[in-house]
Amino acid sequence: MRPHPVLALVAANLRRHSRDRVGLFFIVVMPFVSIIFVGMALGGGTAASRLPVGVVAQGSDPVAAAVLTELRAHPDLEITTVGDKEELRAGVREGSLAAGLVIPPGSTRFELVMTQSNGSGMAARSAVDVAVGKVAAVLEATRAATSAGATPAEAAALVRKAQDASADVEVVNSDTASGTPRGFAYTAPANLLLFTFINSMAVAAALAESRRIGMLQRAFTAPVRRGAVLFGEALSRFLVAAAQAVLIMVVSSLLFGVSWGEPLGVATVVGVFALVSTGAAILMGSLVRSSAQPSAIGPPLGIVLGMLGGCLWPSEAAGDVLNAIGRLFPHAWGMDALLTLSRPGTGLGDVLLDVAVLALMAAALLSLSLVLFSRRTRTL
Amino acid sequence: MTNTLNCENLSKKYGDVVAVADVGFTIAPGEAYGLLGPNGAGKTTTISMLVGLLKPDTGTVVVGGTDLATDPMAAKAKIGYVPQEIALYPDLTGRENLRFFGRLFGLPRKELRGRIDEVLDLVGLADRADAKLDTYSGGMKRRINIGAALLHRPELLILDEPTVGVDPQSRKAILDGVERLVADGMALLYTSHYMEEVERICHRVAIIDHGAIVAEGTRHELVELVGGADRIELTLDGDVETAIAKLRGVGGVTEAARTAAGSVRLIAEGGRYLLPAIIATVDGIATVTAVEVVEPDLEATFLHLTGSTLRD
Repeated sequence: MRPHPVLALVAANLRRHSRDRVGLFFIVVMPFVSIIFVGMALGGGTAASRLPVGVVAQGSDPVAAAVLTELRAHPDLEITTVGDKEELRAGVREGSLAAGLVIPPGSTRFELVMTQSNGSGMAARSAVDVAVGKVAAVLEATRAATSAGATPAEAAALVRKAQDASADVEVVNSDTASGTPRGFAYTAPANLLLFTFINSMAVAAALAESRRIGMLQRAFTAPVRRGAVLFGEALSRFLVAAAQAVLIMVVSSLLFGVSWGEPLGVATVVGVFALVSTGAAILMGSLVRSSAQPSAIGPPLGIVLGMLGGCLWPSEAAGDVLNAIGRLFPHAWGMDALLTLSRPGTGLGDVLLDVAVLALMAAALLSLSLVLFSRRTRTL
Repeated sequence: MTNTLNCENLSKKYGDVVAVADVGFTIAPGEAYGLLGPNGAGKTTTISMLVGLLKPDTGTVVVGGTDLATDPMAAKAKIGYVPQEIALYPDLTGRENLRFFGRLFGLPRKELRGRIDEVLDLVGLADRADAKLDTYSGGMKRRINIGAALLHRPELLILDEPTVGVDPQSRKAILDGVERLVADGMALLYTSHYMEEVERICHRVAIIDHGAIVAEGTRHELVELVGGADRIELTLDGDVETAIAKLRGVGGVTEAARTAAGSVRLIAEGGRYLLPAIIATVDGIATVTAVEVVEPDLEATFLHLTGSTLRD
C-alpha cells in the first residue's frame, strides 16, 4: 500500500478539523471546564480532602473499640457511625460514603461495603486495611506475649513498648497515599472517555460531508486502492480521538495533579477506547444522510452512554440495574480500567478483561462500519 | 495512431434493468468526443465504468494501451475525471485541494508544487489560490474542480457537465481552457446539456439513449441523419395537444412534440416553406403567438433520435 493516499487523506482531514472553531472549542476547552466543575462538585481535589467512611459497630467489645480508634486517628478518613447495615449500604450506593465497614459484635471478621472499585472506594479500603492491620498486630503481639508466659499486665506493657518503638518507623514518602486529588482523579478519566467519544462522533460530520459531495467517490478514481482510502479515513478519526485523550491526560496531570497510573496500561486502555470511538464515528458517518446529523445525534448519544458508564457521576450512585446496562457499552469498561489503573501498584495485567472487552467492541464496530462505509461510497 | 481510449461492448445491469447495453467507442489523442443523452440514458453509468468506479458486466476499457480491468492503477493514472458535482473540500483553500489530489495521484512533493502553480495559472485562479473554497463563486469552484483532474497530466480527460450553473465569464474560461488542452494533444470525453458547447468543442459525438449508442459521428454526419429537415419552434395559445396531433398529419412534418418550456417543436423537411400550411392547420384550435425556424443542427438530430430535448 503506497503511503501517499493515506497521508494525503489524513493531512486533509486534520487540516479541516483544525479549522472548525466550534469543534476545537469542544476538543480543547469544554473537557477541562467539565473536569473542573464536576471535579469540584465531587469533592475538591486537595490533599486535605478526607474520605467519608461509615462504620456499623454493634456492641462495645475491645476489638471494635480499638478498630474505631485507629480509623478515627487516620488522617485521610472521616468516620461516621451508621445505625445499621442497610443504611450503610444506601450511603455507599448513593455516593455519600466512599466505603463502609461492619464490625459484628464479638467477631474479628469485618465486612467491608463497596459497590464499585472506584478511586475513592479503593483509597478508603486501603486506609481501613491499615487501621485493621494495626489492631490485628496489637492483638497478635499480646497473644504472643501471653503465650510466652507473661501476665496480662506484663503483656500489655510489652505491647505498649513495642507500639512506642514502632512509632519511630514511618513511611516518609506518602505522596501517593495522602495527596491523591480525589475529585479530579475521577472527573479526568470520566471526561476523557466522554469527550473522546463525543468529539469522535461530532467529527463524523466531516466524513458524511465527504460522502455527500462525492469527494470519496472521486478519490476512488485516482490510482488508489479502496482499502487505502478507507484506512486513511479511519486513521484520521483515530488520530482525533487519540489526540483528545492525550490532551486531557497531559493537561489534567499538569494542572490538577491527576495520576493516571502505569503508562503501558493507560496507553492500551486509551488506545482501544479511541478505536471504539473511531468505529462509532465511521458508523455514524456511513449511516447519516447529512453532515448536520452527527453533530445533533453524537453528543446526546455520547452523554447517555457516559451516564450509563459512570462518566457523569460515580457508578455507585447509579444502582445495580443501570450499572448492569452500562456494561453493554464501552464507557463502563473504560471507566473501570482507568480507575483501576489510577490505584498505586496496578498495571495492564489488572485490566486485561476490560481491555479485551473494549478490543472486541472496537473490532466489531470497525468491521461493521468499514463494510458499511465501503458500500455507501460505492453507490453512485 | 493508437487510440487513447478504447472501450468495447460495455454493459451493466441492475437486476432486470439494463443501464448500459453494448456501448463502445474510441477517442484518439487530441480528439474531443461528446457523449449526449437525456437524463437516465446511461451516461453516468458509462463514465463510472470508464473511470473504474463501477465494474462492467461485460466489455473492456483500455486507456493509453492499459487495460483497466487487469491493471487499474496504471490505467487510472492516465485518466483525469471531473465529476458533475463540485467534489472538493469546501473548508480547504484551492491550493490545498489541489495538493490533496496531487498527493492522491502520487506526485512527488517538489513536482507537485510546480504543477499546482501551473494548474492555477491554467484555470486563472492563481490570485485566489489561498482563499478557502467556500468563498469562491460557482464558476471559480468549477475551474478548480477541473484543475484537480489536470495535476497529473492525464492522457484522457473526462468532463461530466463541467459548466452547470456557471456565469458566462467562467464558462468562456473553461471552454477556452478545454480547447487548449485538446489542441495540446489531450483526449477528451465531454458530456453537457448545452448543445452549443458540444458543437463548439467536440470533433465527434455519440448520442446515447436507453443505455445504447443510437448514433455516432461528426456534427455534419449526425445532422445528415435528419436530412434537410428544419426545426420549427411554435408558441401556441389554446388547445396545444390537439394542435400537435393535427400537426403530425401535415405533409413533411416528421416530428411534433411539446418541449419542457411549453412550446411545440416540429421537425419538417423544408420546414420554412411549410409555415403557411402549419399555421392553417392550427387555425381555430390555437393561436400562433411566435414562430422560430432553425436550420438542421445537433439539437434537431437529438430530438429526432431520442424524442426529447437535452434539457427535458
